[in-house]
Amino acid sequence: MEMSEQDPSKTEPDSYEAAVERLEEIIDRLDSGQSGLRETLDLCKEGRELVSYCAAELDEVGAGLKELRLDDLAAKLEASPEVS
Amino acid sequence: MGQTVEKSELSPRSAGPQFPGPFAVGRYARKLQGWMRERPRVQLIGEVTGVGRSKVQAYFELRDSEGAIPCAIWLNDLEKAGLNESSLRDGAEVVISGGLDYYPGGGQASPNFCFRATHVRLAGEGDLIARLEALRKQLRAEGLFELQKQLARPLLPKTIGVVTAESGAARRDLCAGLERRGWGGSLIWAFAPVQDRHAAPAIGLALQDLAARPEVEAIVVTRGGGSLADLWAFCDETLCRTVAMLRVPVISAVGHERDSTLIDDVAAVACSTPTHAVEAAVPLDCLAARESLQRCTLALRRAGEGAVGNRSRHLSALARGPARALQRQRTDLNRKIREVRAAAERGLSDRATSQRRIGTVVLERARLRAAGADMDKRREALHRAAVTLRAHEPERTLERGYALVEDPDGEPLTSAAEAGAAERISLRFSDGNVRARPEQDRT
Repeated sequence: MEMSEQDPSKTEPDSYEAAVERLEEIIDRLDSGQSGLRETLDLCKEGRELVSYCAAELDEVGAGLKELRLDDLAAKLEASPEVS
Repeated sequence: MGQTVEKSELSPRSAGPQFPGPFAVGRYARKLQGWMRERPRVQLIGEVTGVGRSKVQAYFELRDSEGAIPCAIWLNDLEKAGLNESSLRDGAEVVISGGLDYYPGGGQASPNFCFRATHVRLAGEGDLIARLEALRKQLRAEGLFELQKQLARPLLPKTIGVVTAESGAARRDLCAGLERRGWGGSLIWAFAPVQDRHAAPAIGLALQDLAARPEVEAIVVTRGGGSLADLWAFCDETLCRTVAMLRVPVISAVGHERDSTLIDDVAAVACSTPTHAVEAAVPLDCLAARESLQRCTLALRRAGEGAVGNRSRHLSALARGPARALQRQRTDLNRKIREVRAAAERGLSDRATSQRRIGTVVLERARLRAAGADMDKRREALHRAAVTLRAHEPERTLERGYALVEDPDGEPLTSAAEAGAAERISLRFSDGNVRARPEQDRT
């Protein structure tokens, strides 16, 4: 099985897109009912980690809009070398 | 061109390059004026800046992002063109007709170069569209429309840059759209003028500054609708080239659906409204994604628990298997024992019945056999009796010619006295009766 050959210890996806894609694969595989016990448990573990990753990503943009001004950021950037 | 100065008047050490001349400048200037006035008459389009007036003419610069030319028009030509003073103002997009001119100046007056306009009109939509199409063709041919579209756009950016006017509905719409989508990341505002000749360079600079920040994953450029002249900054060639070369995807939301600017062509995505721009900048609907994640969590929990639970139930069932199989065998055995017992009992009973049935049959057969012999004898005796009886029947006697005397009631009269006493008698022959009356006196 191609999926069971994937390394379940790989828990940090490259991006939200990659995490969601892998999560969908996992759910499909579990829904198919064709995975064995060991594979099912590994997939569930990997799936839970992906869900945690996605939830953390969503949490990062869930705190409410943070508005910054480019002028202010540029001013800070210019000021910082002098401070250091 | 002009009269040359005597070579002997020049010091040999300052001769300089061996160009023709030197010529007297005044004459050279007049020749230059003539040469310029012979240049072909043309139309120019651009934005009016620095308008000033003297008693006889108006002067201004005609400018776009790439350069400018000083222009002048006689007031009477301006009047003939039908433009009032307020029409020829800073920021107006105009088309002027005319040609190059040069005022050589004089002993006191300063020389002056200008484009002498003989006619001026406000630029129309048609003029701008023609310019836009020419630019569009050129940039497409250079492949600049494809560069931004090849950039990967993140599904869930954390930081978005926005270039827009500081005061404008676009800013409000954008924030409202992002909040509706459940996105609450960082927005970096880069405010810039969005209409006039300062707009394009300012927007270009803002875009470059935003793209230089590593945390910025997408940039939205937006402003509200307007005429093509209002949106002209977003058709600026330099700005569009800048956008095409940025490493960060740019989402343009300039004007309304019907407005098409050049920045729309070079951007990664062109949107008709700030709401659409929000969807392009944050392709993931965060609210829906959170619900989807909850469903995934449930599905995973179900799958995990189910995998263990189902197998454990199956295992329990398997563990109970041998005992159940033994019980089944025992039940089968008991059933068979009962059947055998029942069959044995049924067998004895059947045998007795069978014996009885055989005895009955034998007896019946014997009885029938005995009954058969007796019947023959009886049948023979009966026959004999019938023959005897028949021999004693009165009818047989009557057939032989005898007659039987009977009274009217059918009772036989067996003596002459009875017959003589009867008033009426009946003589019964074998073939019928004859009635008679005895004659008393003859006896």
